Amino acid sequence: MIRTARRNLSVYSAILAMIPKQFMAYQLWFWISLVLSVISMAILVYFWRAIYANTSTISGLAQNQTINYILLAFIFMPLTSNDLIWEFGSNLREGTIIHHLLRPINFQGMNYAQMLGGLLTRLILQIPMAVVAVFIFGLRFPTDLSTWLAFLVSALLGFTVMFFFNWFLACFTFYTTEIWGLGVLVDGMTFFLSGALVPLVMMPEWIRNIVLSIPFAQALAVPVSLLTGITPLSDAPLVWFIQVLWILGMWIISTLFFRVAVRKITVQGG
Amino acid sequence: MTRYLNLYWYFLIQRLKVLMEYRLSFILGASSTIVWQASSIAAVWIVMQKVPSLNGWNYDEVLLVYGLVTLSKSINHMFADNLWTLGRIYIRSGGFDRFLVRPIDPLFHLLADRFCQDGVGNFLVGLALVIKSSVDLGIDWTPSKLLVLIVGIVSGGFIFIALNLITCVSAFWIVDSVPVTRLVFDNHLFAQYPLSIYPKAIGILLTWVIPYGFASFYPASYVLGRDVGNIAWFGPFVAAFLLFIGYRFWQFGLKYYSGTGT
Repeated sequence: MIRTARRNLSVYSAILAMIPKQFMAYQLWFWISLVLSVISMAILVYFWRAIYANTSTISGLAQNQTINYILLAFIFMPLTSNDLIWEFGSNLREGTIIHHLLRPINFQGMNYAQMLGGLLTRLILQIPMAVVAVFIFGLRFPTDLSTWLAFLVSALLGFTVMFFFNWFLACFTFYTTEIWGLGVLVDGMTFFLSGALVPLVMMPEWIRNIVLSIPFAQALAVPVSLLTGITPLSDAPLVWFIQVLWILGMWIISTLFFRVAVRKITVQGG
Repeated sequence: MTRYLNLYWYFLIQRLKVLMEYRLSFILGASSTIVWQASSIAAVWIVMQKVPSLNGWNYDEVLLVYGLVTLSKSINHMFADNLWTLGRIYIRSGGFDRFLVRPIDPLFHLLADRFCQDGVGNFLVGLALVIKSSVDLGIDWTPSKLLVLIVGIVSGGFIFIALNLITCVSAFWIVDSVPVTRLVFDNHLFAQYPLSIYPKAIGILLTWVIPYGFASFYPASYVLGRDVGNIAWFGPFVAAFLLFIGYRFWQFGLKYYSGTGT
């Protein structure tokens, strides 16, 4: 029992550690994307400052609260990553999915470890951007430890929700074998539906209801609202509970769909 | 000139034949840009329902600015998207050498080689925004306003193309020019909103250094009757100047190009 657990841990952590190395190959991109992020953040900040020019609160949020939310959502955007869809697609196109399915480890577990490794790397790579946000755009991180804990739990849960949701979406590629269109479409929708552009409380009720009945916001708006204090800390257990329900639901749906879809597998070569 | 127009037509027909073979990808490509734009516009709409003024610009006025820069961008996106891929696809593989031995201008060949369908989505979004906003604003169209609008869109398109041309020439030295082009190109995002919401330095940058402002802010200001002075008419000169620099720089880079040995 303990031996299997240790074996599993070392297998999955080895997979996790592989991802940062791949990322480091792109050093020039690292610096350039830092500048690109500064441009994006500048636009967001000045847009919101202009909006707040003649009003002190919007839907109960003060200017610094909103800008904090927007900047933190921008920094924690990797939580909504849909790399899994692309990974699935390339596995399918190159036929390597066959080898993965034959390996004596859980295919879903392997992918989860990979995606978690990708998330941690991306978040570490966001640190320079966060520093810029603090010094240029006046971002304030909370200093309260329990707020951070509440956020971290919620972020991990939200990331897991998205993992199973992406798993569900990726299963469609077994039928369509077309990945690019699905990927960019989901990318474009995530931007808005995750709550990265507008705090959920500002949305008209019908839009907020739509956003909360699909998974994207669970990974970004929900944890970041806890971090910025828009959602009070006392609500954290309720937030976690809802996220756990999301995980269960998404896990069941995606696993069932995968079982059916994998029989349709059509490898395009490899 | 007519020879090149005929050639372009011929290239375009070939490209459309290819695209029609992959109809689903064509439609998805064109609609992906629509989804992206819809996200940003939805956000602006939500916020401006709550606060109807962005530094004195109302929702429809902001949409006009946004729509104009999107139209200019779509010209570049449809007809000059290959400037992005010069290094990655043509130089790295050695495919660019093919252009050099043909009896037509290599730059023309590069541009004509691929009409980019994704730009159609941007074109439709931009057009819809400009029409919607100008109808809702009840703009009183005079010949000079109409002229400024059209000249603004076209010269804006050429400013996009010229800046991408200048930056893509770096591919002759560093092969992959995409990071350099991105570094300049992404500044157009500033021009999606009125330049007056930014600090002065950003306004100067977007007017005199990376002049995307001529694609949106200045023509929109003129059409809306906001006084920006004669600068509203500068767009074509800025575009012509940048194109001149871009083409000279392209020729300079071409002289130093020696292939990757592939």
